[in-house]
Amino acid sequence: MSLAAFSLADKNALVLGASSAIGRAAACALAETGADVAVGSTLATLRERAAVLSCRDAIQSQGRKSLAQTIDAANEADVQALVEQTISELGTLDILVNAHDLPFAKPLRDISSKEWRRVLEVNLTGVYFACRAAAEPMSAQHSGRIINIVSLLGERGMINGSAYCAAQGGVLNLTRALALEWARSGITVNAVGAGWTEGMGLLKDTAVQEQLRRYLPQKRLAQPSEVGEAAVYLASDMAGFITGQTVWIEGGALSHL
Amino acid sequence: MSVLDKLRLDGKTALVTGAGRGLGRAMALDLAEAGAAVVVASRTQSQIDETVDLIRAQGRRSLAVSVDITDSHSVNAMVEAGRAAFGQIDILVNNAGGATKGMFRPLDTIPDTHWQVGVDTNLSGAVYCCRALLPSMVEQGGGKIINITSGFGVRAAKNNYMYTAAKAGLINFTRALAMNYAEHNIQANLILPGIFPHDDPELIEFWRGGKFIPVGRVGQDAELGPACVFLASDMSNYMNGQMLALEGGGLAGGQAPCGFAPVVPLEEDSV
Ligand SMILES: NC(=O)c1ccc[n+]([C@@H]2O[C@H](COP(=O)([O-])OP(=O)(O)OC[C@H]3O[C@@H](n4cnc5c(N)ncnc54)[C@H](OP(=O)(O)O)[C@@H]3O)[C@@H](O)[C@H]2O)c1
Repeated sequence: MSLAAFSLADKNALVLGASSAIGRAAACALAETGADVAVGSTLATLRERAAVLSCRDAIQSQGRKSLAQTIDAANEADVQALVEQTISELGTLDILVNAHDLPFAKPLRDISSKEWRRVLEVNLTGVYFACRAAAEPMSAQHSGRIINIVSLLGERGMINGSAYCAAQGGVLNLTRALALEWARSGITVNAVGAGWTEGMGLLKDTAVQEQLRRYLPQKRLAQPSEVGEAAVYLASDMAGFITGQTVWIEGGALSHL
Repeated sequence: MSVLDKLRLDGKTALVTGAGRGLGRAMALDLAEAGAAVVVASRTQSQIDETVDLIRAQGRRSLAVSVDITDSHSVNAMVEAGRAAFGQIDILVNNAGGATKGMFRPLDTIPDTHWQVGVDTNLSGAVYCCRALLPSMVEQGGGKIINITSGFGVRAAKNNYMYTAAKAGLINFTRALAMNYAEHNIQANLILPGIFPHDDPELIEFWRGGKFIPVGRVGQDAELGPACVFLASDMSNYMNGQMLALEGGGLAGGQAPCGFAPVVPLEEDSV
């Protein structure tokens, strides 16, 4: 094996949620490794529009092809259209990264059913839409990589995290089920589990960040690039025997009793 | 530094136990390919000599050291020999282990010696290697530990006691390493290989060619190397106490046979 075997040259990717720090890092890492990368936002807002356009520019400045769409990841038609546009402009869809992230934390009794539905729709149902849309072209070419970005809250609970935790845990087990369902179609389905990461939606409060830095075994937060680069490994031809797994990039947090 | 450059191991030294054949050899070759010098250790001199020759043919430095990992004096001497040759050791791959023949035995037929040798080979040996190396990794300001567990380390199987217990022990030992050494910039992780019969027709037959594995095939030894390089490299510096499983999807399911695929429509009036 030479390290060039990890290269993603000639591969085309779609990263949803590229408006978040981790999504952007994953998109840029895939591009840097040779892939052309289309990007979509999590929400159809002006702020997210600016974020995905800037991500597209960063990819293009690496000499890769890109396109950006401001979509609502919970909107079935938006997601389907972006998958189709990716294939028509880039040629194929080889790698799908679902990095949609709608951070949310509230005591359960204060969560309205509308909020609950929205959090589940963006963080979980949106992943279902994207996987379903990607599965068709991927099984037709008998090869594909689906990589779902989840957080520690997919594996562990958190006070006020109920809706978010339920959605993230749902993505983790969706990953396992789809890995089995598509194992003979050439599609691997894995997750990258992000530990507490700089720029994460749930970490706006700097006091919380400080507390985490003291508590975490590795005494620091993850850089978004460290999470994104794990996606590069899973997307590569070198990871064909890995499916239904979660690669946790969490600095020892889950080893803690 | 580009993303792929982070995988480079130039200037680093790796020590791989059980690198005379099988998965250990495959990992040693790829660590060398990525730029590392490699200390190749096991009990059978002719096999480790052969691995060393292959690595030198790649233009990397390598040294064969005979070791019995179940004997901590032998382990300490191996670490000394590696250090004497290459200055310092940055990456430790605890791969020596296995129990193909004696893996399946009803509990009441397991003699003390079988249990002890098995646990020594699959758990204590890795502990001895870590104990011998970690102080110098702390002093060096960092390092990587990669322990090789097994699907039996996370799931049980009929008449499998010693191996399943030892490989499970190795997993939580690795978490303990992660907890305790994270702040010294040392990452300890696991590779969990699925079924890798090493092109041995008898083993392939025994594992039915991997028909029961979701992806429908067994693993190739060469697939382990890239995973090992990833965990040995700066690309995984925030991965700690974790497991990278290369097993074709078996662990994602397992509550029903592979291929079990019921279709149950929603009751019409509930839509
Ligand atoms: N192959 C698989 O399907 C599979 C699946 C899951 C996990 N694993 C694990 O992966 C590792 C490698 O497996 P493998 O299939 O490559 O095994 P293998 O072909 O039997 O090779 C095992 C290596 O370990 C060495 N070794 C065994 N006992 C030792 C001792 N006491 N001291 C020093 N070296 C010792 C052997 O050399 P000597 O006998 O010459 O010492 C040999 O080089 C093992 O830990 C195994 O449990 C394998």
